[in-house]
Amino acid sequence: MALHITNLTKRYATGVEAVKHVSLDIEAGEFFGLLGPNGAGKSTLIHCTTGLAQPTSGSIEVFGHDAIDNYEQARLAVGLAPQELNLDWFLTVAETLDYHAGYFGMPKRERRERTEELLETFSLTEKRDERTRTLSGGMKRRLILARALMHRPRLLILDEPTAGVDVELRLELWQYVERINAEGTTILLTTHYLEEADRLCDRIAFINHGQLVAQGSSAELADEYGVTSLEDAYLGLVGRKELSRAHIGAEEVAE
Amino acid sequence: MTAAQIRFLALVRREVNRFMKIKRQTVGAPLLETFLYITVFGAALGSRIKELHGYDYVVFILPGLVMMAWAVNAFSNCSSSILQQKFQGAIQDQLSSPASPRQLLTAFSLGGFLRGGIVATLTFAVSAALVDIGIAHVLVLIPGLFLVGFFFSQLGVLVGIRAEQFDDVSFAQQFILQPLIFLGGVFYSASLLPEPFQTITHFNPLYYMIGLVRYGFIGYSEANIALSLIVLMLATASLFAFNLRLFHKGYKLRV
Repeated sequence: MALHITNLTKRYATGVEAVKHVSLDIEAGEFFGLLGPNGAGKSTLIHCTTGLAQPTSGSIEVFGHDAIDNYEQARLAVGLAPQELNLDWFLTVAETLDYHAGYFGMPKRERRERTEELLETFSLTEKRDERTRTLSGGMKRRLILARALMHRPRLLILDEPTAGVDVELRLELWQYVERINAEGTTILLTTHYLEEADRLCDRIAFINHGQLVAQGSSAELADEYGVTSLEDAYLGLVGRKELSRAHIGAEEVAE
Repeated sequence: MTAAQIRFLALVRREVNRFMKIKRQTVGAPLLETFLYITVFGAALGSRIKELHGYDYVVFILPGLVMMAWAVNAFSNCSSSILQQKFQGAIQDQLSSPASPRQLLTAFSLGGFLRGGIVATLTFAVSAALVDIGIAHVLVLIPGLFLVGFFFSQLGVLVGIRAEQFDDVSFAQQFILQPLIFLGGVFYSASLLPEPFQTITHFNPLYYMIGLVRYGFIGYSEANIALSLIVLMLATASLFAFNLRLFHKGYKLRV
């Protein structure tokens, strides 16, 4: 099991419960999607998994390692590409990758080789000595993904990786993550693009108001909501069925 | 080298890299400042004061200037580095790595400690070229300066963690640290002050630190050296333990 979350609750100091009694299992090698509206608790759940937030109760295991009691082993297995472009302005592109790998204990030679490999993969070789703040938004997004992959994580968490990126980069990213998933990396993806989830994910979970409300394949979710597409199932989740394209199409035909 | 050593080294390298990339501001400016103090207070004021407790005025104030260089730069580096990384979100890269709270705290502290050490050493080297000053008690000077450097690194870390805006850091530096240093007797001998100021000075911890370093350099002190060393050691250890607790809890670092 890549990720085993049991009865997870996260209550912030303000009293807001961002995640409520969530249990979730992701099998090794799966491509798993987590969908929900803004503020549903997706990022909080991810932060609890990666140590950026401390769970109020419940447990998280990453490849059998407890994320609190055995955080070192658990975090070694996880690569996080966060939603925010959280790069260090003082560092160059190559330094960003090198330090990250250093934090994960990779020896110098291995760091150097992996840096070259990922700079090449993400078309960043020419920018290797530029400071991160001079990069375009798309390049920053690529660098964040490269950074998450530096230490060869077995579980890659992509928190809205294609938000605000152009079509070609989105397609490039899709191809790359599909390839590493096929090679055995487990992927947890959050996205607002339902087409993305539909195409990439083996299984999808819906989260709303901090609770996991449904999970299954795209077709199973559509069945559960009595509709024909993932998009309509999602609209059912957020209570906005009137926005359904099928619904609007039917009305136009009736008129 | 073990993975833990590589990790710790990467954390320290990042801190040193940051201040070396902006060395005009982090090393050059403090050196110029110290040079101006020596010129203004040493040459201009010194020509009138001549001697204090049998020492040339400029020789009397130099130990305090060296100590001040270490203290202010250690504090400023730690507080700015942590706040900047919190502000950019880049600190998440270290926080989601397998680094332990102790490794994180020690690495952040060492960044400030090393910057302070470099500025203090350069200050002393430049001063020694201009003024005839030796080292009277190296076994007091080295532990004294190291403790001062480490104490102010801890203070910088504490302020950096608590700070939510840059104003919080500059407030601590300008309104608390600088007055304590100036009123601790860098530029004068507290024994020359009228009452009640002389007694009040004895409640300023900086008075004892300056006393230690001055004793190390020129062999003159008004305070009990052994007691000052012990108290400074205890204060530094307590502050380190307090910061370590904050890192364990993730106070204002992990939500």
